[in-house]
Amino acid sequence: MDLFNFQTAPIHPDVLEQSLWMIIALPVLGAFVCGVFGRMMGRANVHLVACSAVAGSFVLSVLAFWATSHMVASGTPITVPNTFGGAATRYALSQDLGTWFAAGDFRVNFGFLVDHLSGTLLLVITGVGFLIHLYSTSYMEHDEGYWRYFAYLNLFVAMMLTLVMADNLVLLFVGWEGVGMASYLLIGFWYTDSAKAWAGRKAFITNRIGDFAFLIASFLIVLMVGAYNRQASDADFRAAGTNQAQYTSALQQRGPLTFQGLERFAQALPDGNGEVKLDTPISSGPLEGRTYGGMLTVAMLLFLLGAAGKSAQLPLYVWLPDAMAGPTPVSALIHAATMVTAGIYLFCRMSYLLVMSPTAMAAVAIVGAATSLLAALIAFAQDDIKKVLAYSTVSQLGIMFMGVGMGIFWAAALHLVTHAFFKACLFLGAGSVMHGNGDETDIKKLGGLWRHMKWTWVTFAIATAAITGIIPLSGFFSKDAIFHGVHHNHLHGLEWVSGFLYYVGLLIALCTAFYMTRLYVLTFHGKRSAEAKVTEDHVHESAWPMTLPLVVLAVLSVVALVYALPLLRPRVDQPLMENFLSPVFDTARGIAKSTELVVLDTSRPTLVDYLIAWAVAATGGALAYFLYMKVFPARAGQPEPAALRAVRRVALNKFYVDEVYEFLIIRPVKMVSFVLFRVVDALLIDTVLVRGTAWVTARVGSALRYVQTGDAQAYAAVMALALLGGLLYVIF
Amino acid sequence: MVPINYYLFLAAALFCLGMFGVLVRRNALIVFMCVELMLNAANLTFLAFARMRGDSIGHVSAFFVIAVAAAEASIGLAIVIAVFRSRGSVNIEDIKTMKH
Repeated sequence: MDLFNFQTAPIHPDVLEQSLWMIIALPVLGAFVCGVFGRMMGRANVHLVACSAVAGSFVLSVLAFWATSHMVASGTPITVPNTFGGAATRYALSQDLGTWFAAGDFRVNFGFLVDHLSGTLLLVITGVGFLIHLYSTSYMEHDEGYWRYFAYLNLFVAMMLTLVMADNLVLLFVGWEGVGMASYLLIGFWYTDSAKAWAGRKAFITNRIGDFAFLIASFLIVLMVGAYNRQASDADFRAAGTNQAQYTSALQQRGPLTFQGLERFAQALPDGNGEVKLDTPISSGPLEGRTYGGMLTVAMLLFLLGAAGKSAQLPLYVWLPDAMAGPTPVSALIHAATMVTAGIYLFCRMSYLLVMSPTAMAAVAIVGAATSLLAALIAFAQDDIKKVLAYSTVSQLGIMFMGVGMGIFWAAALHLVTHAFFKACLFLGAGSVMHGNGDETDIKKLGGLWRHMKWTWVTFAIATAAITGIIPLSGFFSKDAIFHGVHHNHLHGLEWVSGFLYYVGLLIALCTAFYMTRLYVLTFHGKRSAEAKVTEDHVHESAWPMTLPLVVLAVLSVVALVYALPLLRPRVDQPLMENFLSPVFDTARGIAKSTELVVLDTSRPTLVDYLIAWAVAATGGALAYFLYMKVFPARAGQPEPAALRAVRRVALNKFYVDEVYEFLIIRPVKMVSFVLFRVVDALLIDTVLVRGTAWVTARVGSALRYVQTGDAQAYAAVMALALLGGLLYVIF
Repeated sequence: MVPINYYLFLAAALFCLGMFGVLVRRNALIVFMCVELMLNAANLTFLAFARMRGDSIGHVSAFFVIAVAAAEASIGLAIVIAVFRSRGSVNIEDIKTMKH
């Protein structure tokens, strides 16, 4: 059946490769047009331009994604030749636009690479992005700054696409910074409200801390690649299927930070045959004397800090809940579908480097688990519908980090995708609820909505079930795949981590089920709150541009489950997603196998695993349902049970993390900056340097004025005295 | 033959007299005459050394000094006459216009 032959792309990859840049260029163009001409174009035209830019990029993404699976006649997949030698990159398209910049022997190319991992993300970003654009056309219909909004939204998509498509770390960093900037613009979109503007600033600054770590890590990698290239012999490169001459010339041609090159570097490094191993000291350069393995761990930990900033992990997660200040579709776009997953994408992209450092992997997993648990506990007590969802995002991202840290990369990527679907659905659903209820965000002042907002209710229920982990939905399978991997993968020397984290994971699943059910029950069921802003008769369902994306996302969050099931071909004993992403993660698996630093288990979950996970989720959900429907339907104004009041207060105040940061970091920094301002700026620079020089010049001038008498005799006397002095000097 | 020391002592004494005059007298004409005196002291030194060494370099220097003295006298006196015409005085105390 040719119709269903998806192994032949409609456009030949060789042709399509030349146009990969257009995937990014379209939203950039859209942003430019909306931003510059938007005000005079009118609302409908702006909507048209913004949506069609993303839609165009979605179509191109589909084609590119399709082409990555293109088979040529002999049944072999398309490949991208690897400049660094060795096996070609399978299932990938690439476009290299030549040198971007070069300094000395450091060089960066402007190159794009689309393989199965980035192809999947392209679909998510442009697909979910388009739905959010469509939703926004209705959600923002009363806003004056719509053209600015759509320009930012397009810019955000463009930057996220740059991040994903980059074939080197530097270009990835451009996207990384770009989404940071775009999110700053969007979170602080209503800049006249100072609290919202502050939220944007908080996001920006928190991200900046992470980005600094990212940069340092990149520099370390550059140094290590350079040092390795000088120190290693041909024997070292043999494992990577290349040789030193080829590697060196490719370094000059493509620069040290391309992912292809890093992959070869990773393959060559742990090889036992050559001179250089992970514990070999670096022989020259700024890192002299330190081992490759050690520096790799440092670099990975710095990347973790960078990823923590972008993906809202401990200690830098605090910006994300505040970032709910922006318009709701923005929250959906930034916080569910795209930007916050950048950290997970980064680690998946560099999986081959990560598996060489068990320390870093354990750190990633533990940070993820701790964040996830903390965020889940905070989400218990939040009453703001968007805040609950925000903490839920933080928590889910933590689960993804656990997966990455324990080496089950495909499951992390899958959870990223399914989470994008159901979290976007939840956020947009929350937006729809707010839209129909006079912008009410307090779930205690809602309730009983299911009768009046059918579409929102149904889709929200599906998405809630998906994130909770009810069995036939995608969230269950992706989450369970991660927990299964966490359970069975082992880090060499750190075996306790996986055993421990599995139970933490179950606890997180329980919490997730609890707070999500609470949110859902309080919003849609029970009696209408007495303090609701809008009376029950005036609650209305949103327009179709808002409900359609909800439906699509709800459907997607159901059907995405097939990726976790072994359905691809009968002879493949792997979940579809694992098999699909294997060209990307095979290198990491090979390295893990040869170094034995990480033991990767690829066994499929058994029925018992599923049962445990399902029971946990069902327990949490049932508990919340029972508590909030029967025992204490906590409406506004009603007293809470005395026993829970203290706990609730702590959780409601987010465990005082913001206050701790305020006390530990912000106050001291403020103090230091106040001292610096007083002493260095006001005293040293203003008084001593600026006014001081003027003062000295004036004083010297007025003193010298008395010497300038115009009396020739006085001058002569000075000359005579000088002559005398000179004479005396010569004589004695 | 008179030893060269005597010439030099005489020249030094003349020079000091001239310099003393330049530094303390107020009348511009007298100051000029004192400058001439210093120049002549220098000339005397040159000639004494020329005589001692038996060559003509000192003589050439002396001629230069005489030429300079002549020029100075003519231009300097012209300036003094111009100043006297404009201010009615040659007292150098009165022409310190650059004084603050």
